[in-house]
Amino acid sequence: MADIPRRMPVTVPTVDSAWRVRARRWRELLGSVLANPTTVVGLVLIVGMLAVALFAPAITEPNTPDPYQMPRDWGALNVPPGSPGHILGTTNTGGDVYYGIIWGARTSLRLSIIVVSITVVVGVAIGSAAGFIGGKVDEILMRIVDVFLSIPELIFALAIAAVLGPSFRNIILALAVVFWVKYARIMRAQIIHVKDNDYVDAARVIGDSRLRIYLKDVLPNSITPIIVQATLDMGHIVLVGATLSFIGLAEAGLAEWGVLVSEGQAGISAGRWWASTFPGLMVFLWALAFNLVGDGLRDVLDPRTETAR
Amino acid sequence: MTLPQPSMSPARATATDVIASVTDLRVHFRAKGGTVHAVDGVSFDIHDGETLGLVGETGCGKSVTARSFLRLVPMPPGIAAGGSITFGPEKTDLTTVDDRTLRSIRGDRIAMIFQDPGKALNPALNVRDQIAEVFCEHRTDDVLDRAGIDVSGQPGPGRQLLRRRAAGRSRLHERMVLALPPLRGRRRAIEDALDGMIADALAETHIPNPRKVMDRYPHELSGGMRQRVMIAQALACNPDLLIADEPTTALDVTVQARIMELIADLKARRRTSVLYISHDLSLVRRICDRVAVMYAGRIVEIGPTDRVLAEPLHPYTRGLLAAVPSASQRRGELVAIEGTVPELIDPPPSCRFVGRCPHAAPACERRDPVLAPIDDGHAVACFLHHPPEDVADDDLPTAGWAGRS
Repeated sequence: MADIPRRMPVTVPTVDSAWRVRARRWRELLGSVLANPTTVVGLVLIVGMLAVALFAPAITEPNTPDPYQMPRDWGALNVPPGSPGHILGTTNTGGDVYYGIIWGARTSLRLSIIVVSITVVVGVAIGSAAGFIGGKVDEILMRIVDVFLSIPELIFALAIAAVLGPSFRNIILALAVVFWVKYARIMRAQIIHVKDNDYVDAARVIGDSRLRIYLKDVLPNSITPIIVQATLDMGHIVLVGATLSFIGLAEAGLAEWGVLVSEGQAGISAGRWWASTFPGLMVFLWALAFNLVGDGLRDVLDPRTETAR
Repeated sequence: MTLPQPSMSPARATATDVIASVTDLRVHFRAKGGTVHAVDGVSFDIHDGETLGLVGETGCGKSVTARSFLRLVPMPPGIAAGGSITFGPEKTDLTTVDDRTLRSIRGDRIAMIFQDPGKALNPALNVRDQIAEVFCEHRTDDVLDRAGIDVSGQPGPGRQLLRRRAAGRSRLHERMVLALPPLRGRRRAIEDALDGMIADALAETHIPNPRKVMDRYPHELSGGMRQRVMIAQALACNPDLLIADEPTTALDVTVQARIMELIADLKARRRTSVLYISHDLSLVRRICDRVAVMYAGRIVEIGPTDRVLAEPLHPYTRGLLAAVPSASQRRGELVAIEGTVPELIDPPPSCRFVGRCPHAAPACERRDPVLAPIDDGHAVACFLHHPPEDVADDDLPTAGWAGRS
């Protein structure tokens, strides 16, 4: 221990400078993302809706006992927007549309984050195994993927959710079962492409193990399309989830946009437009926001534009 | 009809100073129409400290031969169809050795430089991490030693952590522990030691300002700089054998010259043997001690560079030389070799060059000449120089035609 300080002072600052270089790179990346105005619009929307989702208990008084259930005001059915106590009106069962929208954001965030995390992890793992190991493993895994892909995703999710019974948890499960397939495909294609690069051979020449080559050379260079796809899916999954709950696969009265649209649709012909329009608009904005950001990320992270710089 | 086996290597050297020895190497590939004999019975030795050039056209099997040293040929579709590559004084057979031993040899004792440095560097890693990898993998003890950390004593948990850091294998939670005061100082010492080693390796390749370059990513460097980084990485562990697979093909001519000088200089200082693969005879002339000419999966001629290039014996070597422009040549004097490299799918037992050879004779169609020594260290596979005794003279090629070119 005693002789360590003698060698230390020579290059101490390099540790900091590496960090500074890394930080500068992240700033550059952020800068190029923000250079695109539509991406900024998407980001602002996302930040706004995330804030709504996170601060929902502060914005509206949580319903007891279950805050994810809309409160029912049986004394005020079908009240139009602007009524006292119900700024956005109520449904035909007295559900407060404003509450449903605010807590619906929280439900949507929960849905999309859980589903995207599960599907990304499963898809990346399976796609990596197929692409990196190859041979029989690849063959078997990809045939399984083909089976999943041969069924339209919405109908597949619908079938699973219907079999499991109507509940929001089952919607999450159904979407997770359906959506990993895309990631597995993307990941496999990426890995097969990246694996062919000389730097993978170069890493083998250094004497790296296969696992290390995968973690250090293959995975970081194949992950960007997954990031883009995951961003797009954050929006897409809410859309599909809302569809499923609109059909009636979520619990009745859940503070969820699809449920709200469904409760309101009976009244549209009678001129009670608000109960469906506002939650529908939220679904639209949510999907739009993540699509805008996803496209912006794709432009920035695309390896071709990266090297052309 | 079987021919007597030739003496495998035209070796003038004793067994002790042969660093690597390829014997009857055969690598095939499964293809649609049959089996492609990409490397078909190649034998040669690499002597300690020499530069052996491996020349030939695209697709003649030189890269596959070189990649076989590090078992980089993908199997399948590749098939190890026979032969051996022994390496080092202990004569490890690289074609059969277990993965663990192979990994310890790769990067440490045999290194490789790739053709296109733009593709051979991981775009997601900066130069520091790129080179640190080699030291972490093979020189953990040196890193610890340079950091002034003695981990030889009784193994405590802290030492384990530091050792794993020096080997570049810290996991996330270990990194958190290493960021805390009791180990932080020594961790920094390890990082500084690594940085120092990396900077030294880069400085050896005459990269200006190595400490700055360390933080760069490959796409921020020029082609010449990237190749220097590759070379620094390859030579980091002082390998016994360096395989250079057309290291200058992707570079500008001016940068080419510098890189060639660099390789020659580093090789001379470290006594590293080099297997230099190229299709460019003028480069080979400049840096190789010996040269092996490959054609269609075979070595057709091997010998000291000056001899082979001054008096080429095989018609293919002559053709290659006639196709190389030189300053003394007049316009219009370049001669192309007629035809192209034959399909190597299940080749017939004839000379591989027979379809393009100006001397082709009936005997060449019927049997396959083998590589046999002409004199000390110079060997050729051609019936012009080794007429088989049991064939009538009329069927043999005659040198008379050689006057044509």
